[in-house]
Amino acid sequence: MQLLTTKMTKKSRNVLSYILLAILFISSFLFVRFNYGLYERPIAKVTDVRIQDSIENVDMYDNKDLLTTQELVAKVMNGEHKNEEIHLVNEFSSSGAFDQEYKVGNELFVMIEQPAKGQSELTGTIQDVKRDKYLLIVAWAFIFTLLLVGKKQGFFAIISLVVNAVLLSYALDFYLQTSGIHLLVICSISIILFTAISLLLVNGFNEKTYAAIIATLLGTFLSLLITYAVMWMTSEQGLRYEEIQFITRPYKLVFLAGLFIGSLGAVMDVAITMSSSIFGLYEKDINISNKALKKSGMEIGKDIMGTMTNILFFAYISGSIPMLILYFKNASPLGFTLSMNLSLELARALAGGIGIVITIPIGLYITLLFVNRKRARQ
Amino acid sequence: MNVLVLLGIILFLLMIVIGGKKGARSFFALFLNFVVVLLAVLFMNDPSLNPIVITVIACTIISCINLFYINEINIKTKTAFVSTLITIVILLVFIVVITEQAMIQGFGEEEIEELGIFSLYIGIDFVKLATAVIIMSTIGAITDAAIAISSPMYEAFCHHPNISRKDLFKFGISIGRDILGTSANTLFFAFFGSYLALLIWFKDLSYSIEEIVNSKIFSAEMITILCAGTGVTLIIPITAWISAFYFVKIRDKKVPQP
Repeated sequence: MQLLTTKMTKKSRNVLSYILLAILFISSFLFVRFNYGLYERPIAKVTDVRIQDSIENVDMYDNKDLLTTQELVAKVMNGEHKNEEIHLVNEFSSSGAFDQEYKVGNELFVMIEQPAKGQSELTGTIQDVKRDKYLLIVAWAFIFTLLLVGKKQGFFAIISLVVNAVLLSYALDFYLQTSGIHLLVICSISIILFTAISLLLVNGFNEKTYAAIIATLLGTFLSLLITYAVMWMTSEQGLRYEEIQFITRPYKLVFLAGLFIGSLGAVMDVAITMSSSIFGLYEKDINISNKALKKSGMEIGKDIMGTMTNILFFAYISGSIPMLILYFKNASPLGFTLSMNLSLELARALAGGIGIVITIPIGLYITLLFVNRKRARQ
Repeated sequence: MNVLVLLGIILFLLMIVIGGKKGARSFFALFLNFVVVLLAVLFMNDPSLNPIVITVIACTIISCINLFYINEINIKTKTAFVSTLITIVILLVFIVVITEQAMIQGFGEEEIEELGIFSLYIGIDFVKLATAVIIMSTIGAITDAAIAISSPMYEAFCHHPNISRKDLFKFGISIGRDILGTSANTLFFAFFGSYLALLIWFKDLSYSIEEIVNSKIFSAEMITILCAGTGVTLIIPITAWISAFYFVKIRDKKVPQP
C-alpha cells in the first residue's frame, strides 16, 4: 500500500512538472511575441517587400558579389508611431557578411525619421534584427532534448549551467565595480565555486566528487602556472593580442582569465571520469591492489586524453573560420592570416590540453588517496 | 622561442610520458585535425563550393581520425562513427534553419569598425559559413560522447552475451545520462572562456538586457552554445540505439536463433 502511494505521488509530481513545463513554454513564446511594448527602440514588422534592382559588384581582389536593393513596407509595433506604416530601404549582398535580405514577417529595430512638412509617409533606417524569438526556440530545443534524454540528470545539468552563468555574471560585475581586485583573483575564487557547484550537482555529495574537486583545482591551477611560466619565458612571442576583439580592459589578463575558465570544464570532465571509474573498480572488488588500480586508471586516462583535447581544440578554433576566409579573400598572405587569427585560440587549446593531460595522474593519485583512506577506515 | 611552439612541446612530452604510444597518436591526431580544418577553410574560399558540404566532408574525416586513428577500427568505433554522422546530419538541418532565420551570420556592428580596411563583398555565403562554424565546434564533443557510450556498451555486451536489445539500449542511455552533465559542462566552460572578453565588453559599455539579447554577436554565441549542447545530448540515444542494434544483430548472425 505504501509503495502504491509513493508511486502515485511520484506520478502526480511528474504530471505537475510536465504541466509547469508546458506553461513556461507557452508563456515564454507569448512573451516574445507580444513584448514590443517593453522595448524602447522602435520595432517594425515587415509587411511587404519589393526588389528594386541588383547590380554586380567586383571588388579590388576580383571577388564577385551581387548587391541588391529592396524596398520594405513595415508596420511599427510600439512607441508613439504604433500601428503606422513605415517605408524602409535595405541594401544587401549575396554573401551577407554585414547585411541580409529581409522577408515578410521579419521584425526589425528601426530609427524613425521625423517626416518632413507636407509629407505623410513615415521613413526610417534599419538598425538591427529582433532576435529574441530565435534564441528562445534554440533554448527550448536544448532544454527539451536534455530533459527527454537526461531526465533527472538532464535537469541538473541545466540547473548547473544556469547557476554557473549567473555566478560568472556576478563575478564580472564584482570585478568591474571594484577595480582594486585582480581579475585572476576573482577568477580563482569563481573557479573554486564553479567546480564545487557543477560537480556536486552532477554527481552528488560523495567521496568520488570530493576527489574530483581536489583534482580539478590542482590540475587547473597547475596548468595555469605552466602556461604563465611559458609566456614569461618566451616573453609572449607569437601571441597576437591585436586579434582579441571587444577589449575594454588589460588584454593579457582577459586572455589568461578566459583560458583559465575555458579549460575548467574539460579538466572537471577528466577528474570525474578518473575518480568515478577508479572508485567503481574498488567497489566491485574491495581487495583490489593499489598497483592494479593504478594500472587501470592509467589505461582509462590514455583512452580519454585524445578525444578530450580534441573537444577544446574544435570549440576554440571553429569560431575563427569566417574571419580567416575574410582575410584570405582580401588577399592576405597565409602565414599572416593564421598568426593573426589563430595564435590565441591555439594557445588556449594547447594550454587546455596540458590541463587535461596533467589532470590524469593528479586525478589518479588523489583518488587513490581517498580509496586508501576508506580502506583504513574499514 | 615562440609561445605556441613551447606549449606544443610541453603538451607532446606530457602526452608521451602519460599516454605512451597512444599519447603520441593523440597528439598527432590533434595535428592532423588542424590540417583538416585548414584545408576545409582553404576549400571554402572557392565561391562555387558549398561550405556546408565541405564541412560535412571535413567532419567525416575528423571523426575517422578521432575514432579510427586514436583508437582502432573495431565494432565499437564503427558504431560510434555511424552515430556521429547521423547526429551531425540531424543537427545540421536544425542549425541551417535557425542560422537563416535568426540572421546571425557574418560580423556584428561591434566588430565592423576594425574591419574597415577589408572588402566585405567577397561572394562567399556567410549564412552557410555560420552553420559550418557551429557544426565544426561540436564535432570534437560529439565523437567523444559517441565513443564514451559505445565502448562500455560493448563491454557490457561481452559480459552478458544474452542481453536483450532493449536492455542494452537502456544501459547505453544510463551511461549517457552519467556523462551528459560533464560533457555539457566541458563545452559551456570552453565557450564561456572564449567569450569572456565579449561579456566584459557588454558590461563595461553598459548594454541593456534587450540590446545584449538581440545583438548579433551575443545571439550567435548563445545559439552556438545551445546547439552544441543539443548535439552532445542527441548523440546519446542515437549511439545507444545503433550500438544495441548492431551488437545484437552480429550476435544473432553468429548464433542463428532457433
